Amino acid sequence: MPEGKLCNRKPIETEEELKTLLSDTGGKKYYEEMKSLDVDSGLLWKTIGNTLKSRTKTWLEICAHCGMCADSCFLYLANDCDPKQVPAYKIQSTLGEIVKRKGQVDNEFMHMVMETAWAKCTCCNRCGMYCPHGIDMGVMFSYLRGLCYQQGFVPWELKIGAGMHRVYRAQMDVTDEDFVETFKWMVEENEEDYPGLEVPIDKEGADILYTVNAREVKHYPEDLAEAAILFHLAGENWTVTSTGWEQTSLAMFAGDWAACKMQVESVYEAMERLKPKRMIGTECGHAHRATVVEGPYWAGRSNGKPPVESIHYVEWLAEALREGKLKIDPAKRIKKKVTLQDSCNYVRNHGLKDITREIMSYIVDPGYFIELSPNREHNYCCGGGGGFNGIGLFRPQRNKGLITKRDQIIESGAELVIAPCHNCWDAIRDLEEEYKIGIKWSFLKPIIISMVEIPEHLKPEE
Amino acid sequence: MYEFLTGPMFWLSLGTCFIGITVRFVLYFKGLNWQLERVAYKAYPAQGLKGALNSILNWLIPFGTCGWRKQPFMTLIFFGFHIGAVLVPLFLLAHNIFLKEKIGISLITLHPVIADILSWSVIVCAFLLVLRRISLPEVRILTTAYDYFILLLSVAPFVTGLIARYEIGNYSFWLTTHIICGEALLIAVPFTKLSHIALFFASRAQLGMDYAIKRGGMKGKGMAW
Amino acid sequence: MFKKILFATSATEASDHAARVAFNMAQAYDASICIFHVLGVPTRGFSQIVMDVKTKEKVEIDDEYIAWVKEEIKVYYSKQLEKAKSYNINYDIKVAVGFPHREILREARNYSPDLIVLGGSTGDDEDSVYKKSMVGSTLQRVAKAAPCPLLVVNRPAASFWGGISQIVFGTDFSKASDAAFKFSVNLAKDLDCELHIFHALDISNMHMGRLLTQDEIESQIRESLRRIRGRYIGELKEIKDYSFDVWEGLPYVEIVKYAREKHADLIVMAHHTQKTSNEDARLGSNIEQVIVRAGCPVISINK
Repeated sequence: MPEGKLCNRKPIETEEELKTLLSDTGGKKYYEEMKSLDVDSGLLWKTIGNTLKSRTKTWLEICAHCGMCADSCFLYLANDCDPKQVPAYKIQSTLGEIVKRKGQVDNEFMHMVMETAWAKCTCCNRCGMYCPHGIDMGVMFSYLRGLCYQQGFVPWELKIGAGMHRVYRAQMDVTDEDFVETFKWMVEENEEDYPGLEVPIDKEGADILYTVNAREVKHYPEDLAEAAILFHLAGENWTVTSTGWEQTSLAMFAGDWAACKMQVESVYEAMERLKPKRMIGTECGHAHRATVVEGPYWAGRSNGKPPVESIHYVEWLAEALREGKLKIDPAKRIKKKVTLQDSCNYVRNHGLKDITREIMSYIVDPGYFIELSPNREHNYCCGGGGGFNGIGLFRPQRNKGLITKRDQIIESGAELVIAPCHNCWDAIRDLEEEYKIGIKWSFLKPIIISMVEIPEHLKPEE
Repeated sequence: MYEFLTGPMFWLSLGTCFIGITVRFVLYFKGLNWQLERVAYKAYPAQGLKGALNSILNWLIPFGTCGWRKQPFMTLIFFGFHIGAVLVPLFLLAHNIFLKEKIGISLITLHPVIADILSWSVIVCAFLLVLRRISLPEVRILTTAYDYFILLLSVAPFVTGLIARYEIGNYSFWLTTHIICGEALLIAVPFTKLSHIALFFASRAQLGMDYAIKRGGMKGKGMAW
Repeated sequence: MFKKILFATSATEASDHAARVAFNMAQAYDASICIFHVLGVPTRGFSQIVMDVKTKEKVEIDDEYIAWVKEEIKVYYSKQLEKAKSYNINYDIKVAVGFPHREILREARNYSPDLIVLGGSTGDDEDSVYKKSMVGSTLQRVAKAAPCPLLVVNRPAASFWGGISQIVFGTDFSKASDAAFKFSVNLAKDLDCELHIFHALDISNMHMGRLLTQDEIESQIRESLRRIRGRYIGELKEIKDYSFDVWEGLPYVEIVKYAREKHADLIVMAHHTQKTSNEDARLGSNIEQVIVRAGCPVISINK
């Protein structure tokens, strides 16, 4: 069978296709069909010819096979130093091999490639920092995912995820109406405690355009409320957009570059329509990477920047605390051992390593903040990045992958892990569920709300 | 034979090497594509250059990066190998006498004792690199016959050179072998992994630009390699 | 007074008492009832896998599974539903996926019921799926934000509902208490029953550990009685029987004691804690303590 009904090389384009694929519980039929999916070697080789240029070609060629990348990889460490988890081996045995064979690979081989690309690499890019040649295997795996996606060898959840972006311009089935309605609902629910709380929708020329992760709308809208409350308390002139509000991109994890472009353009259109001074995204790592770091390139913006200055939530928060827009009650600062999880996507890949520590200095009583080791741009992936968290098929591998982070946290002795990133937050929650090491975990917003001083004029009447 | 090797063959191999790596270097940068690699090279030339230089220089210093510090043994044998492998061919007295005769110029030269030490260091370190390849599972799994071939190709001129230098056995035989090995190495450079002689700089520069321009180089203090 | 009742249930034994009350109320008021069950908590990042709240297994939600769960609920409440049918009561079974408090509130916004009846939790054990990843209990979160009165039955003893003849309204003189008062009055009028207004003077921590003299206590009691008269009695013209009292002590204990003494069938109180308490005090406020301890159903009103 060349292509299956569910598992094929065509991306999801309509709501109906999406529902059909979703109704295939656990992707049983999907993966069954994948077993007989043909590889379009011609297309594969043509794509490689068009996109695998000197940088990647050189990376593949000059790899000295020195193995210095081995222990930079958290999956290598978590899997008891299994040589098959050496980053260079993983990429050479997949992408390297495809190139060597000029795309003449079979179904079985592509299955192996799929597992390697999604279950043995989270594209955390740490190995690239440890290769003397500067070979970034995370970047190559991301590229490889694109090839896999094109051939239809992509985990079920990510085919759906990319489809969600194509159909809803959001990672979950949340419509624009749902978004606006949920935000309003959250404001209603909190306006008694915070008089004057509002969510300005589609306001032109605001100082801040706030973008979110669809999961907040769908499952924990408290996060939206918290964002609104903090902007309100800080006296910010902010707004949200009724379309183009989704900052994340599962399409990036899936390697569906066309969908990446569609998704990010919807956000840029909102920026151009509302002309805010700045865009601020929620506490999410890959959302920032997708919309602020990589997005401009998908959208073909030659200066590598989004239409308006775009910053991560932690940058705004640090600024608000620094400038006194938000004041912390010193008595309520954290007084237990607390550590910080650096998100690969905006720390290693966007340099925001000091800003989060500045926030810690405001909200943690002196002496209680502990660093993980290693940290900052050298920090390990939480274990669930790059889509790993959500792929049912690779769940055992994911759980194994959490071990590196678990040991890092245990070693630090922290009781609370602050993870200003959805993926990290999920992974650390799952880590506690799986291994029960007795830690708590949190985003920044609820912590700030628990300790922020409410200005006199914004207090509710008693 | 000697005449041929030091005459046309010398020019051929040197030419192949220089032209070859220049071509590869130029092609590398010509082949960069801002949209495919997602790095706006042209938009930020100053930051890009700074990042590129940083990325190269830090890695040229022994123990200059976290990567080097993490693996001290590897760092020692790596630099033990590469320092000799770069300095000896260029600055050996005998090579420079030959150069002076051939083209009338010569570079500064190494003290013979230092040259000996460096040559030995290349051989010893190459041996240790091989041992490392065999003994460490994470390196063994990556290793192919090609890797040994490259190592052999690189170390052969040193072995034969030293034999000739100590005049063990038939001097002229070993000298000829040494020249053949050296020229083979030169010719191989552009066509094999040895192209990393130039492409190391290219690849490091590219990643340096990537980090400097896109991945946060313009935020905070920049990259701590 | 109650035309639409939203009964949020775990569809386990823990909710049986609440179920009894919910169905009795629906019958008594000829109200339609919506049986609402949150069947799973999302646990896999963006994926479709959720943790089933009953089996604690990871399952993938599809239409078939949802239909199966609905059928399970129908079977579980078959007796009640049959009875409901015979009384011509409209009912509907709905299930949702998500964090329970959030989904209950979402459904409440959707369905706009006049009363939410909240079933008991799946248990206090640490593993309870409902408590996953959220600070504060479902009860706290629903009570804080519910758009309508919330009725909670915690102890089995509280569910033997034989009609309401005695209502206890506990007040702390807050704005929210005024709303709860209005509700109590309307209910008492509607049901033609006795209303007991009660305030407990908190002597546990209001004076920073300083012991109050009996004179001080008694003068404060007089002050509180004066406030009750001024604030509430004027509105009780249409109420046949009422009484009011102020006792001193630990408020929630006093309220429960008072309700027992008055043979209360229902306690009405305001819920107006600002924040959901953190893990250190899962049931922080007075009303939450009353809910846990009371021998009758408790209605919480937040606005």
